Amino acid sequence: MPFSRPLLAPLLPLALALPASAAAQMEMPAGPPPAVMLGAQVVGLVTRVSPAYAGRDFTEGYLTQPAVMAHARLAGGRLVLRATIDLEGLTLRRGELTPGSYGEGYVDRRHPHTYTHEAVVTLATRGDGGAPPGAALSLTAGKGFAPFGTDDPMMRPFVKFPANHHLAQVLERAAVIGAGRVGPAIVEAGFFNGDEPVEPSSAPQWSRVGDSWAGRLTLAPRAGRLGGLEVQGSHAWLTSPEFATGGGSDQRKWSASARFERGGPGDAAGHRYALVEWARTDDVFNGRRAFTFTSLLAEGALTWRGTRLALRGERTVRPEEERLANPFRAARPHTDAAILGRTRWDVATAHAGLPALRVAGVRARPLVEVARSRATEVRRPSAFEPALFFGSERQWSLSAGLRLELGATHRRMGRYGVAEVDDATPASSARRPAHH
Amino acid sequence: MRPLSFACRAAPLALLLLSSALVACGGGGGDDDNEDDGHIGPTPPPALSIVGRGAVTDRYTAEVSVRGDYAYTTTWSTRGATGVGNVINVWNVSGATPTLVRSITVSDATTLGDVQVSDDGKLLVVATERANGSLVVFDLTSPGNPVQVSRYLSPNTTGGVHTAEVQRVNGKLYAFLSVDPSSSSPSRLTIVDLSVPAAPVEVFSQVMGSPFIHDVFVRDGILFTALWNAGLTLWDVGGGGRGGTPAAPVEIGNVRTVNGEVHNVWWFHDPATGAKRYAFVGEEGPAQLFTSSSGDIHVVDVSDMAAPREVAFYHVANAGTHNFWMNEAEGILYAAFYNAGVEALDVRGDLGACTAAQKSADGRCDLGATGRRLASGPTGQGAVFIWGVQGQGDYVYASDMLNGLWKLNRARR
Repeated sequence: MPFSRPLLAPLLPLALALPASAAAQMEMPAGPPPAVMLGAQVVGLVTRVSPAYAGRDFTEGYLTQPAVMAHARLAGGRLVLRATIDLEGLTLRRGELTPGSYGEGYVDRRHPHTYTHEAVVTLATRGDGGAPPGAALSLTAGKGFAPFGTDDPMMRPFVKFPANHHLAQVLERAAVIGAGRVGPAIVEAGFFNGDEPVEPSSAPQWSRVGDSWAGRLTLAPRAGRLGGLEVQGSHAWLTSPEFATGGGSDQRKWSASARFERGGPGDAAGHRYALVEWARTDDVFNGRRAFTFTSLLAEGALTWRGTRLALRGERTVRPEEERLANPFRAARPHTDAAILGRTRWDVATAHAGLPALRVAGVRARPLVEVARSRATEVRRPSAFEPALFFGSERQWSLSAGLRLELGATHRRMGRYGVAEVDDATPASSARRPAHH
Repeated sequence: MRPLSFACRAAPLALLLLSSALVACGGGGGDDDNEDDGHIGPTPPPALSIVGRGAVTDRYTAEVSVRGDYAYTTTWSTRGATGVGNVINVWNVSGATPTLVRSITVSDATTLGDVQVSDDGKLLVVATERANGSLVVFDLTSPGNPVQVSRYLSPNTTGGVHTAEVQRVNGKLYAFLSVDPSSSSPSRLTIVDLSVPAAPVEVFSQVMGSPFIHDVFVRDGILFTALWNAGLTLWDVGGGGRGGTPAAPVEIGNVRTVNGEVHNVWWFHDPATGAKRYAFVGEEGPAQLFTSSSGDIHVVDVSDMAAPREVAFYHVANAGTHNFWMNEAEGILYAAFYNAGVEALDVRGDLGACTAAQKSADGRCDLGATGRRLASGPTGQGAVFIWGVQGQGDYVYASDMLNGLWKLNRARR
């Protein structure tokens, strides 16, 4: 599908408005970061999946992950405003072909995010100033990520999300999150609405704010031999996430991970990154555990002469649900307590991002990504047979495209306030280019 | 008078011996059921043993409805990539093996689900779910060749009709539609007047269920609604003495059965005793097709309809109940139990009376412990996943999502 001019049009004003701040931020002067930072990104992508459905290959083009990001620090960094406006509701309504992906009624296509992907306000007891590490507290409120699991895949090296996205993150919730930090230890706790979005323009069910909660413990030494290492464990309870008005099944979730990063920004020579994570979600009906879904994922990346190379391996078990006339859509909300089966997805992904070009403040990075997946029933007989549905248990996914970035995009996504790991100050992580 | 010959004298004795032998041969075992139904003849075949199977392997089979020489089964969801559940299969069941007569494709449908023949045998109704939720009405003047006469679709059905129950209230035929929730509208009950089958008229629609209404049962002007976690609610729609009508049901009472997930109901009228004491409630717990299921049958005493109460249950390990049907003349409940096949239960008598050892911790009688189970089947056929069951004459018909339509021998008390 060719990229139509109407889809690109919303991005042009940003391209015109941002260059000045972009140029300044790209140089990253020493000292405190600017009070207000803006950034934008989009990935123009062509993906071919073989086979995608019923033995047929699909080739599609997208403007994926189009987002405008803003970060504002006030009162010496004690008040932080953070926002991510995601335009996938305009560009990705049909979802993005991603074998194994599921969530929010999309299957084997990644769902579009809501327009307000993040909009949070944080109050912190410490702002900028480089004070010695000590106890620090923050309180965050708004719409964003619950304190659970690992970073949002949008800010990780790959363009295709892993299959475990809805096992490993809880996103786009109206949340109140408290965080405390002492040295390398970070504790977070938050409550939020359990319901996941039903479409890009949907708002949280405000009456349900507080029916779900999450907590995360992180150890992140900032210096020394363990500097750059980050270990977290988290637990969450989600009330009726897949039934917006409530009354559906609940979820009990666990996550544990170890993350390592060194070598400056993502595109700096010698940058190294690795992540290993485990996630588990139990579906709970009227207090009784009914189904369990697990995931084990490992990914790593390094930058060599400006080229970003990354590998990811994943084994994720997902539920199979009744599909609609569109074979990539599942029924929402559910009308009973049955699943068609559970499918195990083994996915290996390789990514290469070529050295970025810089034109008028815009960073353009060509990329190519290939994935090989295998889907098998966990138990047989099953009402979902991958070999019959797709035409084969094994699928290839090949993507090529161009990532465009302007200004200062968020470096990571999924933490707020003193829980942001990159630096002692809540806002300074935004000054570095994104992780791609 | 000449004396009788030996033959003449022996004849009466021979006749006596012959008749005794005939009675003995026809009697079978000491506890056989011939005495119960007056049957005198060969030993009946084992309960729920297989007579034949109408195979369907290109689609998932859903519900079954039987009348006379014909049975009708629907199809569900999509099997593989191309087996769309938009087909009604028409079977001739007069022989041992159900024989497929024809398949009818319902346009603009992806899942059919429920099917039912009206009480007078004139109509066949089918529910379409998911996209374009509707009620499709067929004329059964020629039972082997249903002809569509109407399709009722409205804003109060378009979310998807999960079940359609067709029953007569005060002489008028109505369809009671349990409509799925959608992202923009909650689940609801919609009642349609089928007096003119070619022109159904909606008379009532109301949001119900927590989080949805799943099915109904209507009898004697009493409407039973299966409201999932909101339990079982009874309504007067013309027979409860509270002024209710199908257009304006009046709530009578409610009970929340253990574990909730109230899926379906059968209100038992026992012709042998006149009792109308019990309603059987199916709980549809979590299930993973086609390997596991869960959910019990709950027995609710509705003697006081304003205060129904649960008194007993029936549990099958590693399996859950789905739809059921009763042979009320014999007091036998046939329940589809998904991966465990069909279970036949003796439900006549006082189901709430049992010893302490036969009760669960919460005081309900365990029908399994009280020896109410009569039979189960089909057996020895590999994996099954029974959706629905209905009996007629000496046979019980079970719709199997994996395999098609089973014809089984009925159970006897």
